[in-house]
Amino acid sequence: MDEDLPTDFNVIVVGTGVVESIVAAACSRIGKDVLHIDCSDHYGGLWASYNFDGLQKFIKEVKTEPNKHSQVYNLEEKWYINKDPPQEEPKEDSEDGKAEPTKKVWCQADFTSEYRKFNIDMTSKLLFSRGPLVELLISSNIARYAEFRCVTRVLTWLNDKLMPVPCSRADVFATEAVSIVEKRMLMKMLTSIVGYNDEEMNNEFKDWNDKTFKEYLTHKGLTPNLIHYVLFAIAGGTESMPCLEGVRECKKFLMSLGRYGNTPFLWPMYGSGEIPQCFCRLCAVFGGWYCLNRPIDSVETKTVDEGKTVVVVGSKSKTLKCDHLVIGINECPKDFISSEPAETCDISKAIFITNGTIMASEKEPLTLFRFPPLNDEQNCVTVLEVGPATGSCPKGLFVVYLVTNKVKDAESDLKPYAEKIFDMSGGDQTATSDKPKCLWSLFYNVKDTSAAVHSGTDCVHVCAGPDAGLDYDRAVHQAEEIYKKICPGQEFLPRAPNPEEIVFEDGATPGPEFQREDEDAEGDKE
Amino acid sequence: MAKTYDYLFKLLLIGDSGVGKTSILFRFSEDAFNISFISTIGIDFKIRTIDLDGKKVKLQIWDTAGQERFRTITTAYYRGSMGIMLVYDVTNEKSFENIKNWIRNIEENASADVEKMILGNKCDLDAKRQVSKERGEQLAVEYQIKFVETSAKDSLNVEFAFYTLARDIKAKMEKKQEASNPPGGRTGAHQLRANEQQRKPTSWLSRCSVL
Ligand SMILES: Nc1nc2c(ncn2[C@@H]2O[C@H](COP(=O)(O)OP(=O)(O)O)[C@@H](O)[C@H]2O)c(=O)[nH]1
Ligand SMILES: [Mg+2]
Repeated sequence: MDEDLPTDFNVIVVGTGVVESIVAAACSRIGKDVLHIDCSDHYGGLWASYNFDGLQKFIKEVKTEPNKHSQVYNLEEKWYINKDPPQEEPKEDSEDGKAEPTKKVWCQADFTSEYRKFNIDMTSKLLFSRGPLVELLISSNIARYAEFRCVTRVLTWLNDKLMPVPCSRADVFATEAVSIVEKRMLMKMLTSIVGYNDEEMNNEFKDWNDKTFKEYLTHKGLTPNLIHYVLFAIAGGTESMPCLEGVRECKKFLMSLGRYGNTPFLWPMYGSGEIPQCFCRLCAVFGGWYCLNRPIDSVETKTVDEGKTVVVVGSKSKTLKCDHLVIGINECPKDFISSEPAETCDISKAIFITNGTIMASEKEPLTLFRFPPLNDEQNCVTVLEVGPATGSCPKGLFVVYLVTNKVKDAESDLKPYAEKIFDMSGGDQTATSDKPKCLWSLFYNVKDTSAAVHSGTDCVHVCAGPDAGLDYDRAVHQAEEIYKKICPGQEFLPRAPNPEEIVFEDGATPGPEFQREDEDAEGDKE
Repeated sequence: MAKTYDYLFKLLLIGDSGVGKTSILFRFSEDAFNISFISTIGIDFKIRTIDLDGKKVKLQIWDTAGQERFRTITTAYYRGSMGIMLVYDVTNEKSFENIKNWIRNIEENASADVEKMILGNKCDLDAKRQVSKERGEQLAVEYQIKFVETSAKDSLNVEFAFYTLARDIKAKMEKKQEASNPPGGRTGAHQLRANEQQRKPTSWLSRCSVL
């Protein structure tokens, strides 16, 4: 099989994370010969989603082959339920089948047998409805490879309990906690935030450069509750968040409202691991070659005639050549990383599987909850709760992701938050309680490799790993920057034609002609 | 825009490289077979709407985009698929043996109740045949999957295969609907489109500030 693989490419991409995959798609899209490889047997690297079996393999690998996952450490897995189902049969209800539906008692064996129904993210992120990834998916037509669900609610932690944050206009009206006067003040302030513009710093914000966002909100006369909503829930900030950063975050939130559903956010069906795969699909459709299970052994640059440099990659006794190498930071040989990335703060993460949502709701919720920091050292903790409708887990369960900056280690950093929203005691799953039972948990730290890194050579481009942020904005931005270096002056992921727009000319013409049709005319054809 | 169909089925083509998947897709969607360029271009998917018992059934048939070559098909490819054509080449023993591996791959990644069908393609090349029709039938019995030999080149049984698969999916769906099961619980998920009807965020705000 190996002999079928050509050896000369315009671009070789190593690693199938989000940044690498976007670059691969963009290069292939405009006709570059692309080889895209990954050393592991699946797509996504640290951005992958796993079913429960795949996740168990990952956990085992981190423990037994730490070199393979050098960016993941402090990994702690814990069960809160029995291995096997209880011995005695639950009450037979064969008589009339009308017995009270008892709450399912989960055991570890259920997770094993239903492993395929899980899609658990290593890097869980949301898309802003008008953020760069959504716009890119639409403009490139890659959106056809994925489906999304709207985040149904945004929660916050106020007075020691969970509270919904009013997002839509209707929500704001419905909130009795906020008086008419307060509403008017809030709206005035939000309007000036929407008018904020980085380039032409308007008067409103010109003196706020060195002050905190909280000071600004206070100055605007917002009451403590409103300050809490805007600062923690909408801007995702802390007491010390700089004013302009808060304004930018708020604006992003507001601008994405009203496009799809009640909140500004979208979640990819079957998990975030689908995102890089969509870009890989486009790369393949335009002729990109794919190899998984393909580690690389060496990377060298060689100057050939006329001062042109080629990159030579050794992989499984094959010598591959390219004009540009795009490589994930974790795969990249150290001598190509010219400067140590700036001091960054590692990421603390946790995943929980529970038997119910953190806050009851009529329909299955999809929740973003930003937990304000419980102590001064920390940032807010981002909580994402997803249910069976997202393809993340079997019916009756929820998957909850917690992310924050690392202070001590993942477990110490996040357990205090988890205990506020889950019952972590194990014990009887059928007992009624106000908090869902935690059935399983995983804590881990990830090195923050999201800072841009330069290779010291024009033909080797290093891709960052996932960051702790809520969205994909940094990854999309970095991919575009790398693409511009490889293909200067070329459009970034121009719209791929729909299949019905491809007209085949019979005869000698070797390839298809792409014809763009009026979007509106599409429906009339059938 | 009025819906021009009653059902939309997502179908996949799976099988080793070179067995004729893209050719089968072309034969069915364009009624064409052109040896010179088919394998050189990337086909995403093709659409053909067929008539089944008075219902318009829109078939969206996805090609592997070459990712079958080194078995790197994305898990995303399988999402939401309702029917899969497993294709081997009757002149290539290896491609026949690999059907079992592809079935395993489907079991791992596709929905559990996906309809399947096995196609033994290139049956026009009788002189080069390595896999007898009987062996194909036997394999199909083993997995309880329907089977037919096809030729994309001579347009043999290609229509029949797609109609059969589509009819089986439709029957399964109608049975499910009778049992009043909501279809797959996938309601509420959506694809992003450029012309999505949009409310401007500014209007959201300005209407609020009239308070
Ligand atoms: N004789 C014959 N050749 C075929 C048939 N179907 C496909 N081919 C040829 O087989 C080769 C591979 O076909 P292709 O559709 O690209 O296979 P794919 O890799 O599975 O998509 C091409 O040269 C086709 O012309 C068939 O039914 N009969
Ligand atoms: Mg093909």
